[in-house]
Amino acid sequence: MLLITRNLSVCVEDKEIVHDTNISIDKGELHIIMGPNGSGKSTLLAAIMGLPYTRVCSGTILFDGIDITSMPSYERAKLGIGLAHQNPPEIKGVKFNEIAKAIIKRCSCSDYSMMARILKVDNLLHRDLFVGFSGGEKKRAELFLVMLQSPKLALLDEPDSGVDIESVENIANAIDYLISRNSSIILVTHTGLITNKLSRIDRVHIMIHGKIVYSGYPDEVLPIIMKFGYSKGLEVLRRR
Amino acid sequence: MNMDRQVIEKALSKPSPYGPDIDLSRYRLGKPEIGEVNELDIDPRLNETLNRVGFRNVNRLSYIQVNESAKYRIMEEYLRKYGVRIIPLRKALDEIDFARKLSWNLIRPDLDKYTAATYLYGGEIGYFIYVPPNVKVPIPIYTCLAITSDEKIQFAHNIVYVDEGAEAHLVTGCAVPHGIRDGLHIGISEFYVGRNARLTFSMIHAWSEKLHVRPRTSVNVEEGGEYVSYYIIYSPVASIQTYPMVRVSRDGKAYLANIVAASGNGIYDIGSKVQLFGNNSSAEIVSRVVARGKSKTYARSAIEAYTSNTKGHIECLGLLLSENAQISSIPVITSKKPGALLSHEAAIGVIAEKELEYLMSRGFTEEEARAILIRGFMSIDVPGIPRSIKIEVNRILDLVTKFAVG
Repeated sequence: MLLITRNLSVCVEDKEIVHDTNISIDKGELHIIMGPNGSGKSTLLAAIMGLPYTRVCSGTILFDGIDITSMPSYERAKLGIGLAHQNPPEIKGVKFNEIAKAIIKRCSCSDYSMMARILKVDNLLHRDLFVGFSGGEKKRAELFLVMLQSPKLALLDEPDSGVDIESVENIANAIDYLISRNSSIILVTHTGLITNKLSRIDRVHIMIHGKIVYSGYPDEVLPIIMKFGYSKGLEVLRRR
Repeated sequence: MNMDRQVIEKALSKPSPYGPDIDLSRYRLGKPEIGEVNELDIDPRLNETLNRVGFRNVNRLSYIQVNESAKYRIMEEYLRKYGVRIIPLRKALDEIDFARKLSWNLIRPDLDKYTAATYLYGGEIGYFIYVPPNVKVPIPIYTCLAITSDEKIQFAHNIVYVDEGAEAHLVTGCAVPHGIRDGLHIGISEFYVGRNARLTFSMIHAWSEKLHVRPRTSVNVEEGGEYVSYYIIYSPVASIQTYPMVRVSRDGKAYLANIVAASGNGIYDIGSKVQLFGNNSSAEIVSRVVARGKSKTYARSAIEAYTSNTKGHIECLGLLLSENAQISSIPVITSKKPGALLSHEAAIGVIAEKELEYLMSRGFTEEEARAILIRGFMSIDVPGIPRSIKIEVNRILDLVTKFAVG
């Protein structure tokens, strides 16, 4: 397994947000975590990335056989974890292409021009990072930076929220490209919009109130959740 | 300017309203000299000094002043084919009537003790640059002022005249090599930007912990003219106090950008004032200060509008990198006629944690992430600076970043 979370509980400002979570993802797999707003999906991804606003209150995170529970985020990134933030900060004065170049240099990424084409970010590269970007531009630019990291595991936090249909298409193509390069992906979404654009999904997890309450195969879970929503959908799934 | 010598002598005890007062009697005066540069004469430490202000090649310089010795060189010959004159000021004052008319015309010798001392004892060492009408000088004009010995006063009096419709890019580096500790640099600069002419002036300062610096600059921009100043100081300094003044006529523009990386116990009192005298004149003053150590920085900016239909904006941003550093931002906008549109924004903060954490999640260490953010903070898109100068300034800003990160 590439990533295993064992009984992982995550706190933010001393409040436990994610409870006793167990997820395992193998190389090249795409897992979707769905759930309503505020269910702890983003906190889970942030904890796997090691963002300092989260604290693991109990449990462990194993990545590629290494216990990374106490590791700082930059070391996790160097091991091969890349997080596409839901709302990346606007950074004035720092050019998008400067950050891209620095990552390309560090990660020896050779197919960046192909990625830039897929995500249509060429016209953004000369601008200050995320400053004045539209919703879709932000998501595409953020995913582009993750792709440049050539991640073994990409954590994509709501890549389909607040974006136009065309951007969702571009983002789905980029995710397919990542999968074709044998990256594993955990994708968090509350709308599920992107799920019908992806060519392959391995598992779908439903997260409610900080807990993974259901895991299943996409053909089983997605039609029900998309039709009935989370509360009723879960009832239907459990009755089966 | 003809002024009673007694009045000027009296001004020798007149302190500046800003910055710590300096006792001039503590410093030695050298004998002002002028000569042509000979490679063998160049102090070996000068190359290191040039490097500190981004000049990697001594041969590109048109004018070098080491302590009180003015040297001008081969580049001057090259620029002469465009009609550009670059000569030591004293020589210009001896030979050119026009130069005499310009000298001490924008700055009064009795302004304060520093201008008075320069007038009385400076020997008019400095450069005189004249760009004839409609000549667009295709290459930057590089000059360098260096202090290589201790406990000296270096005086420099510089005059630049860019005539009607002409354009020039001047880059001046002022520096001391490592190891030089004590000294005082006083630089008097009088810049004339003719009708529809354009002058960009990039100045890079790299001094040392015990050096005091007192530049005095005044600029006159005639109708339709444009003056762009890009000032960078990144080294420790005992104190620097400067408050350049720019007068802008009708349809004229002034843009002044100051980048200050303050450190140690230094006092950095860096100001800029623009007076808008003509219809449709405009000004923008932008400053970025990063401060660490126990440094104190005063970022003063002032725009005064004397006519309606003028526009001015001040932007002062500061970043505190240590507990004991201090930044004071003092923007002043004054309108003396209705219809002038003046504005300012000032903010002092620390590095945003969110941005730092974001970059670290991209795989940058904390130190690398800080450097990226500080570098970004200091990046200003200064309009009209040629690409070659931008490349050099970028190299300097990389140095500044290393320095600011510590």
